[in-house]
Amino acid sequence: MNIQEYISSGIIESYVLGLASPEERVEFDKMCELYPELREARTNFERSIEKQAFQNSISPPAGSKDRIWSAIQQSTVESTKVITMEPRQGRSTGLRWFAAAAVALLLLASYFAYTLYTKNRALQARIEHNDSLINKMTEGEKIMHNPNVMVVNMVGLKGSSSSANVYWDSTSTDVYMVVKNMPKLPSDKQYQLWALIGSKPVNLGLFDLPESNVVLKMKNTQEADAFAITIENRGNSGGPDLGQLQSMGKAKL
Amino acid sequence: MSTNTKYSEQELVSQLVQQNDQAFSYLYDNYSPALFGVISQIISNREAAADVLQDVFVNIWKKINLYDAAKGRLFTWMLNIARNAAIDKLRSRSYQDSQKNQPLTENVNTITANSVVNPQQNDIGLKKQVGKLKEEYRILIDLSYFQGFTHEEIAKILNLPLGTVKTRIRSALTQLRTMI
Repeated sequence: MNIQEYISSGIIESYVLGLASPEERVEFDKMCELYPELREARTNFERSIEKQAFQNSISPPAGSKDRIWSAIQQSTVESTKVITMEPRQGRSTGLRWFAAAAVALLLLASYFAYTLYTKNRALQARIEHNDSLINKMTEGEKIMHNPNVMVVNMVGLKGSSSSANVYWDSTSTDVYMVVKNMPKLPSDKQYQLWALIGSKPVNLGLFDLPESNVVLKMKNTQEADAFAITIENRGNSGGPDLGQLQSMGKAKL
Repeated sequence: MSTNTKYSEQELVSQLVQQNDQAFSYLYDNYSPALFGVISQIISNREAAADVLQDVFVNIWKKINLYDAAKGRLFTWMLNIARNAAIDKLRSRSYQDSQKNQPLTENVNTITANSVVNPQQNDIGLKKQVGKLKEEYRILIDLSYFQGFTHEEIAKILNLPLGTVKTRIRSALTQLRTMI
């Protein structure tokens, strides 16, 4: 509906004469802010209604003005009286207790609502977290059962008890790792996985110990004779510190 | 109490907000006949209409700070207060009891038989114009504007679909505008 259609829809008359629904009134007020021509059409209709009313004036009965003026003053006096008298009345005391109880109840309800809300939020976060763990684990499950995936058992070297499994998909060249038992490192250190091709180490990614038995996705490699894990400075970008070789496993049978 | 001061609509409103006696006097002198005319279109009994007029001015005085010039002219605001007060009166038990020889508005058959179909001789102003509308429009404006029935109530009274009531009232109003 364009604005001209809206103007001639009868809404102006409904609004001005008080026949529009609350929803229509809200919409009309909004439209008036947007369209000066609508406002103008409204004012025109208001003026014609006003003119009509003035042309059909009827004088009220004599004495009305004084009667109304005293009624107005009476109503003002009454409201003043109410303010001063109210606290002394028994009923009002009851009302005060009732109000106090209502406020207390409201506070209590708000407190419970807030507690529930916080608990709910915490549960939600846990559920999300668990879901993502489950997803990762099912992903791991899939990888382990894929016939193209070779499992390389990494064993600890030089008295290190570190052990892990590397899963290497020879068709997609994807490399995954599951940590079985590796000691925690100081925060400035990280583990790093390497593929050894011939005797050349190729970086397959740094990693921190995962919080549970989830599958870590490492960098892909097309070739590998063996895999090795070293301890490196956090964010290491150089070669492997072979003095810190933790575990190794042969990829070729 | 009388006044010679002349106010603009805006000045009048701000003086009323400050509860200025002179402003009341001006308001009454300038608007009471028009408002009394509006009330009389709904409440034919002169005494009862005067009671309504009193309620209307007390309400205007108390609620003037709620008037919003952005939403319409002062008279439109007062007109609606007057119409609502008159309809409240029309529907009050005390008024209906006092009009015992008149049909109750609650009685559907008598409404259509009395006030609606036969426009009365003392109809003035807007009501007179409404009397010139074709009957299916006249009855709708009478029930909604002059008797304050909701669209839903009218749909029930006339046994018409609600949508028809709404569109016919809109058409009736646009036609009314061309006549005013």
